[in-house]
Amino acid sequence: MAEAVTPEPGGPLLELTDVSRVYGEEVQVYALREVSLKINAGDLLAIIGPSGSGKSTMLGLLGVLDRPSEGTVEIGGHDTGTLDDASRSRLRGDSIGFVFQQFHLIPHLSAYGNVDTALLYRGLSKSERRDRALHALEQVGLGARADHRPVQMSGGEQQRVAIARAIVTEPLMILADEPTGALDSANAANVMELFAELESPDRAVVLVTHDHGVAATANRVVAMRDGRIVDDSLQVPQPFRGSE
Amino acid sequence: MSKSRELFGVATHGIASRKVRTLLILLGPVVGVAAMVGAVGLTESAKGDLKEKLASLGTNLITVQAAGSFGQQNPTLPKDAVTRVGAVPTVTKASAVSNVDGVTVLPSQGADTYFQAIPVPVLAADKNLPGVLDVPIVSGRWLQPSDSGTKSRAVVIGSGLAAQYGQLPGEIRTITLNGIDYGVVGVLGPVALDPNLDSAAFVTQYSAKHDFATTGEPTKMYVRAAPGTTQATTDAIPTAISLGGTDQVTTKIPSDALSAASKADKTLQQTALFAGILALAVGGLGIANVMSISVIQRSSEIGIRRALGTTRSLIALQFLLEALFVGILGGVIGAMLGVGIVYLVSGFAGWVVVIDYGKMPLWIGLAVGVAVIAGLYPSVKAARLEPLETLRLG
Repeated sequence: MAEAVTPEPGGPLLELTDVSRVYGEEVQVYALREVSLKINAGDLLAIIGPSGSGKSTMLGLLGVLDRPSEGTVEIGGHDTGTLDDASRSRLRGDSIGFVFQQFHLIPHLSAYGNVDTALLYRGLSKSERRDRALHALEQVGLGARADHRPVQMSGGEQQRVAIARAIVTEPLMILADEPTGALDSANAANVMELFAELESPDRAVVLVTHDHGVAATANRVVAMRDGRIVDDSLQVPQPFRGSE
Repeated sequence: MSKSRELFGVATHGIASRKVRTLLILLGPVVGVAAMVGAVGLTESAKGDLKEKLASLGTNLITVQAAGSFGQQNPTLPKDAVTRVGAVPTVTKASAVSNVDGVTVLPSQGADTYFQAIPVPVLAADKNLPGVLDVPIVSGRWLQPSDSGTKSRAVVIGSGLAAQYGQLPGEIRTITLNGIDYGVVGVLGPVALDPNLDSAAFVTQYSAKHDFATTGEPTKMYVRAAPGTTQATTDAIPTAISLGGTDQVTTKIPSDALSAASKADKTLQQTALFAGILALAVGGLGIANVMSISVIQRSSEIGIRRALGTTRSLIALQFLLEALFVGILGGVIGAMLGVGIVYLVSGFAGWVVVIDYGKMPLWIGLAVGVAVIAGLYPSVKAARLEPLETLRLG
């Protein structure tokens, strides 16, 4: 059982130290090479880079979906590499909210059911789960559509359900992978507005993207190339103005 | 607790929300269990009428006869045979009859030419005989102590003889035994376990002795044993009667022949049962197959659940539970279908339905077992899926 993670406001939530991720055995390919990165509470962070720059690998490691080949990934001071699968699963469920490019909603569940899925196996009562899931759906403006299934919704609405699912557990970090990649510009703007609203001193929001329009909405931008971080700078967030 | 309830909910929803797929994998257990229940039910029901008869007659009647040695005609049992047999603790009831030989029985005077050709056995009986045989008196009454006299000679006739004589229910009539008038006081119902008695005439020991000069030694005994002790009682009776002496007796359980006839055709039953098990096994392969494909189709769902914090073991349990529910549901539906088939076919064939409901948990359990075993591989496969691969990031 992983201990509960409670970081100080503004302090590091997640820390990558000299992390490399190598694929292949005979021919080794470094998808990530000696990367160090601290993500702090309050960050609205964009990780930007072209395809093949190591963004996806980074996302897997940040999301505790993957283990580093070298180096350590710490969440709230705990080295995730030493944890067993069950503890990693719980840590993931407790600390990280995922938003994917393809939404990844479960098709046979309603919007409510999809959000509720994130609250399972946590010892919450049914009414507690219901209250929290409906509240999260209201936060993304879909309170009235709780009973609709993904096929009955537009792409933008589906992505908002996915965001509700990500925030319903009140995670330390929201990890979004190309969240506007499958959306038209109007829906993309809508979704990015939501992300801007999610910025909070209690948590970090990480947007992994190749879209400079998305990256512009962040207050910190980490640029990647060839498996390395080439730039890490703060910026004044700009409203989303469509993708380039 | 809430965790298992949540898992239960996820698994039931997983089954309920994919109706066609669920229907497909249900077919295996349904057909398998229906075939097994049907196989056993139909082969047993084919002999259902005999079973029913056997159940009503009971299997605890024992007949005892003296074993004749060479040269000895009409061997008899000791006079106190009933008392001796009564000493066996498992004997609940006993009655003896004596053959009364050389008596001409006629339904009316002047009918000699026709009825003399049909010899009617005359038996001297005690008051307990109908009770031991468990046969009702269909008309009138049985012999009673007041019949032991020369003023009112009473006879009870078997149901077959009554039919032959054209005896009407409640009719007051007189028949002659060696020319002596006997009033027919009752008719004994059909004795399925000893049909010889149906054509007999019964008189009291007193009448037998006075009118026909018998010795009163029993020739045959009817004994009822306590439930479940028939064989042991049968084994104990010869010793109880001979008491170490030279009296030899033979015992018989008349229901044995009926019991053998009522046994279902085992070969047929096993063949059909084997077909059912085969259907179930093939159904199991179907479950494994369809569920494996389903795991691939649902890899995105599995990936997202894993990303949301569900552990590998919970994912495996979710799929195993789905298989379990399919087994239970398929087993129950199959059992109901099997029972329905037995009733339907028996209805057409005119059989008495025999279904061993006590075996239902076994058949359903078999389906559940097959389903769970079939679900193991897909469950493990689902648990091993890497969320990183199924979610196609970046």
